[in-house]
Amino acid sequence: MSKLNASDIQGFSLRGYNMPYSRYCFLEFNAPEDARALLLALLPSVTTGQLWDEKPQSTLNLAFTHRGLAALHLPLATLISFPVEFQLGMKARAAVLGDTGANAPEHWDSLWATDNVHVWLAIHGLSLDAIGKQFHALEALLQSTGGARLLESQEACALCIGGEFNLKEHFGYTDGFGNPDYLGICRSAQPGQGKLGADGKTWEPLATGELLLGYADEAGERPVCPVPHLLGVNGTFMVYRKIRQRVGTFRQFLNHWASRYGAGDDFAKEKLASKFIGRWRDGTPIELSPDRMDQNIVQDPNRSTNFLYRDDPEGTRCPLGAHIRRVNPRDAFGFEGRLIHRRRISRRGAPYGPAAPPEDTPEGQDTEALDAIDRGILFMALNASLARQFEFVQQQWISYGNDARIGNEKDLLLAHHERGDRYGIQGDGSPSNPPLFCTGLPNFTELRGGDYFFIPSITALEMLGRNLVDPR
Amino acid sequence: MANQSGSVYGLTLLCPIIDDERAIPSHDLQIRYHLSKLPLGPDSPFAVAPGTHLARLVVLDDVIYVGMPTCEEHLHSKYLVFECNCDGDRDSYLTGLVQHIPNQLDAIWSHCTGYPGSKDLPAFLDYMKKCQLDTTFFFAPVNDKSVNQTLSALQTQRAVAAFIATHQGCTDTHLQQDFKVFMDRLQKAPPPPPAAHCFARAMKTGGRNE
Repeated sequence: MSKLNASDIQGFSLRGYNMPYSRYCFLEFNAPEDARALLLALLPSVTTGQLWDEKPQSTLNLAFTHRGLAALHLPLATLISFPVEFQLGMKARAAVLGDTGANAPEHWDSLWATDNVHVWLAIHGLSLDAIGKQFHALEALLQSTGGARLLESQEACALCIGGEFNLKEHFGYTDGFGNPDYLGICRSAQPGQGKLGADGKTWEPLATGELLLGYADEAGERPVCPVPHLLGVNGTFMVYRKIRQRVGTFRQFLNHWASRYGAGDDFAKEKLASKFIGRWRDGTPIELSPDRMDQNIVQDPNRSTNFLYRDDPEGTRCPLGAHIRRVNPRDAFGFEGRLIHRRRISRRGAPYGPAAPPEDTPEGQDTEALDAIDRGILFMALNASLARQFEFVQQQWISYGNDARIGNEKDLLLAHHERGDRYGIQGDGSPSNPPLFCTGLPNFTELRGGDYFFIPSITALEMLGRNLVDPR
Repeated sequence: MANQSGSVYGLTLLCPIIDDERAIPSHDLQIRYHLSKLPLGPDSPFAVAPGTHLARLVVLDDVIYVGMPTCEEHLHSKYLVFECNCDGDRDSYLTGLVQHIPNQLDAIWSHCTGYPGSKDLPAFLDYMKKCQLDTTFFFAPVNDKSVNQTLSALQTQRAVAAFIATHQGCTDTHLQQDFKVFMDRLQKAPPPPPAAHCFARAMKTGGRNE
């Protein structure tokens, strides 16, 4: 297939911007004619997927909830042609996603308690100044067009340690590896990021239709697309989840079990932390380097995501329930990985809230104080089918363990735990790699809200702005 | 052995449902109503009767034509479809059902054409044999163990996991002492009744995503 028309696709759909600052503005549309005027006014500022000669100071992207599209008075025939799960929204899918207990919608932040969010407007920037400029321009447009009301803004910022931004999240793990590579999308892909080829050795890009509407997916089908076709093509669906992280609870849990693991020393603690995720906290995949962190691997694009699980069927290197093995099982289910090609998602995460004090300080060990601070991750995932991709991964691979052959076991850090839940770490019997069952699992994360959004193409944005959506 | 996978038997029955326009509600609706009220878990008739790995009952109204060129086909009647993976063979399994859940069988199958009732066992077995289709390709997640063996294995897995979780880091002497008691108790334990340990998942299925 030929190269995609990147100038018609929103940049956020194609790649993470890798900018340290971001602000997510949630808007509620006013009267549809004013809302359309706002969209047209915003259109020249929307960042497309065209490659940059020079990185811009800031970017702007737009996405809509189904309620937002309804507020634009799209024809009913168009509104009901969207996939059902998108029409329902994330709150109505709580029972499917396992968003129960403390994660249930009744406990969400006030922004998400109502059904007012129509628009996700994302500003990413190289500096707070650049974000501020873009935001002021937005405020002026909101004022001049009267098209929408700003409900709330959510700030996010890469964590900064020693004056340098890094890719870590609040539990200390290096994040952002292994987004899939898709056919036709220009991106510096590396081995291990697409799908395993039929030879079981080389890697190939996934079909474009796993990410973008209007193209063939891994089954050779086109994903469900709204009518008219032009409204959907080059668009994608996004899930936005604000996930609070209880850093105090995590550190206390890690210390508690590390004292019973291996030699019970600092190395055992880091090794145990790696067994939760499948990577050492510096990013080294334990499947490649089970005994030590190795920045040579992390920094080597030919190795950092290039591994399989076929030589580790018992999970003695990377546990069967480790996070990265759950959400991207690679070849773990056999059949050269073909069982997972239709379950891949692209992630765009961003940490929010202040970085926690270092673990080796008294404040860094104060569980209650650490948990009291609102910090976490804004999890954003893109896919062509929310039901087939994101919802499946969340339900079957995060909140259940049957496919991984670990029964009812759930993802340690992301799932909602109930009494009696366990996390098993397979070992090989050697003193430095013993098996361990962690019991009495607390909830390390808490869902604070979110929704399903549609990220339209540039053409579709123009159609929305000019009221040209005609399903006939 | 089209109906056999390892030691597991795949039984498929297609039983025509009585077509009587005077019946109100219709016989197929009466089956649907009855099936919707069947208990799940340990009270399910297929947990009460022995030997069922998995069972499914479906009311098949008609076949729906899909494709080109237009060529409509219809079933001669509505059918009750019964599919199960079970221990033993067809007759021994069905005999077990008759012995343990005759009322349930009659309540469901009395709406099917020509059903002789469960009281006359030879006629019952003969009827089911006439309604049988070869299962051919079927999936049995565990195809070399009986229901009781599988239930015992699951019980052992749960017990061993709980034992490990409560004995990590024990001294060798303490561990050996407790393990002997544990093994003795486990070996004497009868297999748990079917469906007694159903894991209550709050999760709802999303339809197309499973």
